[in-house]
Amino acid sequence: MKTELSTPVADALLEAGRTPLLEVTDLSISYEARSIFRSERKNVVEDVTFDILPGETVGLVGESGSGKSTVGRAILRLLKPSAGSISFDGTDVLGLGRRTPLSYRRDVQAVFQDPSMSLNPRQPASMAVTSALRRHGMGDQAERARIAAETFDHVGLTRAHLERYPSELSGGQQQRVAIARALVLKPRLVVCDEALSALDLSTQNQIINLLVDLQAETGMSYLFIGHNLEIVRHISDRIAVMRLGRLVEFAEAARVFDDPQHPYTRKLLGATPAQHPSGRDERRAVRAAFAKAHAEGLVPVV
Amino acid sequence: MTDTQYGKTVAIKTTAPDQKQGTKVVRRLLRQPLTLIALAWLLVVVVWAVFAPWLAPYDPLENDFMNVLQGPSPEHWLGTDENGRDTLSRIIYGARVALAVGFGAVIVAMLIGVPIGLLLGFRGGWTDRVGTRFVDVFDAMPGILVAFAVISILGRGLAPLLLAIGLMFCMNFARMARAITMAERSKLYVDAARVSGLRESSIVFKQVLPNLASPLIVQAAIMTGTAIIIESALSFLGIGLESAVPSWGGLLGVAAAKLGVQPFMAIPPGVVIVLTVLAFNVIGDGLNEALGVGRRKPFRRSKKVADNVAQAALVEGPAAGAVAAADAGGFLTPTGPVGVPEGIVVAPIVRDDEDVDTAPADEGNVLEVRDLHIEFQSVEKGTVELVKGASLSIARGEIVGLIGESGSGKSTFARAVLGLLAPGIGVSHGSILLDGVDLVGRSEKQLRGVRGSKIAAVFQDPMAALSPVHTIGKQLSEPLRAHFRISKSEVRERSIELLNRVGVKDPETRLNHYPHQFSGGMAQRVAIAIALASRPELMVADEATSALDVTTQAQVLDLLLDLRDEYGMAILLITHDMGVVAEACDRAAVMYQGELVEVTDSAAALFDEPQHPYTKSLLSARERRPRPTKEVAR
Repeated sequence: MKTELSTPVADALLEAGRTPLLEVTDLSISYEARSIFRSERKNVVEDVTFDILPGETVGLVGESGSGKSTVGRAILRLLKPSAGSISFDGTDVLGLGRRTPLSYRRDVQAVFQDPSMSLNPRQPASMAVTSALRRHGMGDQAERARIAAETFDHVGLTRAHLERYPSELSGGQQQRVAIARALVLKPRLVVCDEALSALDLSTQNQIINLLVDLQAETGMSYLFIGHNLEIVRHISDRIAVMRLGRLVEFAEAARVFDDPQHPYTRKLLGATPAQHPSGRDERRAVRAAFAKAHAEGLVPVV
Repeated sequence: MTDTQYGKTVAIKTTAPDQKQGTKVVRRLLRQPLTLIALAWLLVVVVWAVFAPWLAPYDPLENDFMNVLQGPSPEHWLGTDENGRDTLSRIIYGARVALAVGFGAVIVAMLIGVPIGLLLGFRGGWTDRVGTRFVDVFDAMPGILVAFAVISILGRGLAPLLLAIGLMFCMNFARMARAITMAERSKLYVDAARVSGLRESSIVFKQVLPNLASPLIVQAAIMTGTAIIIESALSFLGIGLESAVPSWGGLLGVAAAKLGVQPFMAIPPGVVIVLTVLAFNVIGDGLNEALGVGRRKPFRRSKKVADNVAQAALVEGPAAGAVAAADAGGFLTPTGPVGVPEGIVVAPIVRDDEDVDTAPADEGNVLEVRDLHIEFQSVEKGTVELVKGASLSIARGEIVGLIGESGSGKSTFARAVLGLLAPGIGVSHGSILLDGVDLVGRSEKQLRGVRGSKIAAVFQDPMAALSPVHTIGKQLSEPLRAHFRISKSEVRERSIELLNRVGVKDPETRLNHYPHQFSGGMAQRVAIAIALASRPELMVADEATSALDVTTQAQVLDLLLDLRDEYGMAILLITHDMGVVAEACDRAAVMYQGELVEVTDSAAALFDEPQHPYTKSLLSARERRPRPTKEVAR
């Protein structure tokens, strides 16, 4: 597998210039909390703005409940935002109407958190790939089977895996199938929603490497949603940090790490499990200080 | 294949080849004696239906007015009816009607009901609200009345009969399909199918429907039996099939009219109806068992777990409740270390008392495990050793990490310490000294005194460990009342103090809340508060932070560290994450394939000088390949 950018892709990237592939502007998402007497709207995401360039990986981090996955689902058109705009390659995604055009479905793909849940337990693994191909009118049955086999090769699976059911695959293999499903449509953006969280550590590494290699080959962009800042940093060019539905920081990955602007980012950094016990008392002290500041209301919301 | 050597062994162990899935169900079905008998009877009925012309001694329609209403005789084994037709022949031919109506009506019902249920369940919202009311109204109409209406409009005959019975049943299937579809709809694979751009119809029929198959098959089997009864009832009432057509219900109807003249006539059709309906019900139950319909659905599983927990919590206090939850979880989840297959009787494992180290324990150690061997006995594989001679001691106030992958035996080790090994699993050698007292071989009653007061446990899934039907306050008060003789107001005060201590905000209000009102991290804090209530000397935290995100994990680990500092409680921290060891443990032990391959004196030593190849592989798994530099257009 290649580890460097091939020239045509690099050229294409340069040609694309500074035009973002995806622009999310002032995105707000609310849900209705119903009770018997009244219904009120609660914002789970408020005024989130960021963009993704072609070939870029943007990491979206936050703890559970911060609204990061909700943003991803809005981009995938799995739920409807209450305000703001999402524009993909110049088209207004939110104005597309009830039915999502197939071209958008082809361009924007997803890899979800728990591969054992995101694959249909009653279908062989290859079906995930072939049914997507079929819907998008690619090839006849034999051709689709060939493409499926090729894609499986591509993501590090063998042909023997094609006819297996998800329950017969390990977590890492399942996630590879999910990646194959996303990849086969040659998307331009893949939303990876906690794509590594359900995997063990060594498998995480393999999947990260696979994602990085695939990006180098195809030049697609990733929105990489996760709670572990350390992993997100490893794969991201820029990182957006979310807290309580708001974006508190959005900057180059290195800068978020070396010079975090928001106290919450510093806290997230302190929460990342370390590689070595040394310095753990200091990290604990940082976390305790944040908790104290938070309790006293000293942490700014944005 | 790029999985590491260690990852691979696990993957192979936990997966089963699929082609056997079907045969497995059949094998499980054939293991049930009652189902076998039912299947045998059904086979007889099918053979009658198929080979009726050859098996029947007489033409079922041939009248013989010389021999009407006879009892059993060598010529007519089961006698004759009022037209002198042979009853045995009519029963054999009647099997055709019974099976045609049974299967036909169920197919009609499924064809109408399942799509309705799929639509309502998948669409949800207003479609569902309005549609379900419609289904309710339809279902509330008396079935027989519907059948009367259909038959009076369409006339007698097989097709109207099938439609009539099908209409009676269809809403039953609709409700069932709707309920399962609603559960399936929110699953990720449906989202994934949407993202692939699949059409709604193809998601519903190709993605969701196959997941409904098992419960529908079970329901269909049972309904087939009911359809036969209804056909009999309608024929008995004279509105089923033409009276000349031999059907069991029709026979019964005639027999009822002639009961005074020939009482025997009612017996043969009655017996075959009862047997056939019973057979379908038994097969339905058997299928249910063999397909594992209940087991496949997680929401039912968690309910069962919760019930067990609720019970245990009420009887023995929440510590036991938590423990029961973990037990049930481990027992039912496929990846759990061990479970005893159903229907297999295993001999209890008794410790071999020879050369058990009886030396008194070190005063400074809260726990001393010496040369512990744990075995699992199965009929299929014989005796399997799960833990092979593990020795580990934990000093007072010490946090010891036990690392290993799933299936390494680390959870079995923890359960042995808690005295909670599943049936069929037992300590075959060695000893577990808690505060110098050997726990191995103690009765459940003796162990109960130890659990909760000296040792407490926190598990991975707090939602399973907490009872969903009781408030947090109730669950906290149980151990307090069990261990301390204190008044009601003191219990409340202590509960508030405990919740406060574990970082639950606004504890006064939170006491009245139910577990589902807490987030995962908060629920875990509550579980810790419950474990803390009795001031244990040792807390066993089995993957207690694995289900949490890193931020919450850090908070919970900090809490455990603080509690250790404050109460001097020792903690056995079981984890698969080296990061947890790096952040929180004083010492670490590594378990691999049932053996403690490495025990270090400090957490740092594990990282700096790993001895065993497995430890090294765990550490190298944490190292990431440097990222290739790329130029993003900006």
